[in-house]
Amino acid sequence: MTDILTLVFKTFKSQTDLKMDLTVSPPPPTTCGALVVGDHSVSRSVLLLAAVTAASQMGMRVMFFTQTQIQSLPASLQKCFSYPRTVEELLLQIASLHESTNTSPTPPSLIIVDRLESFLSDSTGGSHSGFHPGEQSCAAHLSALLCDTAAFLTQVLEQRSSISGPCRVIASFQSEVDPGQAGGEPSATDPILDILDRYFQVRCTLDQDRGYEAAAAGLQQLWHIYLSGRGITEASSLTFSWPCFPVLLTATLARGSRRTAIQKDSRQLVREDYSLPHRYPYVP
Amino acid sequence: MPSLLPAVAEQLFRDIQKTYQETSQIPDDLLIALKFVFGPCALQALDLVDQRSVTCLSSPSGRKAFQVMGGSGRLYSCFVSCHYCPCPAFAYTVLRRNEGLLCKHILAAYLCQALGVTEEESVSDQQMSMLLSGTAAP
Repeated sequence: MTDILTLVFKTFKSQTDLKMDLTVSPPPPTTCGALVVGDHSVSRSVLLLAAVTAASQMGMRVMFFTQTQIQSLPASLQKCFSYPRTVEELLLQIASLHESTNTSPTPPSLIIVDRLESFLSDSTGGSHSGFHPGEQSCAAHLSALLCDTAAFLTQVLEQRSSISGPCRVIASFQSEVDPGQAGGEPSATDPILDILDRYFQVRCTLDQDRGYEAAAAGLQQLWHIYLSGRGITEASSLTFSWPCFPVLLTATLARGSRRTAIQKDSRQLVREDYSLPHRYPYVP
Repeated sequence: MPSLLPAVAEQLFRDIQKTYQETSQIPDDLLIALKFVFGPCALQALDLVDQRSVTCLSSPSGRKAFQVMGGSGRLYSCFVSCHYCPCPAFAYTVLRRNEGLLCKHILAAYLCQALGVTEEESVSDQQMSMLLSGTAAP
């Protein structure tokens, strides 16, 4: 989880930012997952990069769950993507990962869920106003299932002496409490975020720097990355410009306009149609 | 079940396990400690233990889950590696109010493990998937 995210940030960090010193270390087997919190257009790109990085650089089998269809993917990655329409479908697909059809020949070492809030809002009929105890319980169920599934798949990977273990979980979530506040940290009082923090040991907060200094420095897109939670020994704050070059992902989204937040500020650094960097051969 | 509890609760379960193995009883001081740490759900959990309400389900894949029959006869599926129960008390007391560590069903699963009185049952992989996802009764 955080080792993959750290590798992603290290790989795609600004080449002008020499202050960042990131180390990649394997997660301890007891850790559960990482929650990426922030604007979904950016967090989705982080998740896609994590999937590609894990598959191509670390040789992992990845399962990526999202509601948004990705039209163009490398052939080797297409079977990694699943598109459950409802939270019930998502729960069943994650719960089925222990079945032999999903663990042969290799069980997944990375489970990614894009936009938890989109699944959870379905559980309350799409309404976001007011408090929904059912949404809290659904968030807990989904998070606990992800943790339990990862724990089980870690055991399977260890039994098979796989170097890909332990099984990691990365999910993204955008708080409904602060809609439109891309530059602000989600409120600590978000009841759903409180629930997710119970199960995800690391929170990775993506916070765009819209300050004068960032603009004056000519940085097209400055993001603060905060890693926090009980899954790491001490809170760390990383700052880097991301993405630093036309980041590639071949991710032509079926529902366009998801990258507008980036495009408005980034001098077209992120293009409408991504293409893959040469160094990613997509060979898991 | 790997413990995700405070050290005092973990120690309490270890003491209960050790004492029960030696005497087949839980002495009063440990029962009082159980009530002190877990509150009113301790007594309800002990009732569930007396009724042998906790079953450890396992499937051919090796996946396991606890199933606890509540006082009303309803079955609740709980995970083996983290705390979640679909019961209303877990949603309200643990998740919403943050006033309790566990609900009586998860506590009963811990106690049955400590006392060695968990029932065992096998299910198919598909049944296990449906139980874990909460989409079907067994």
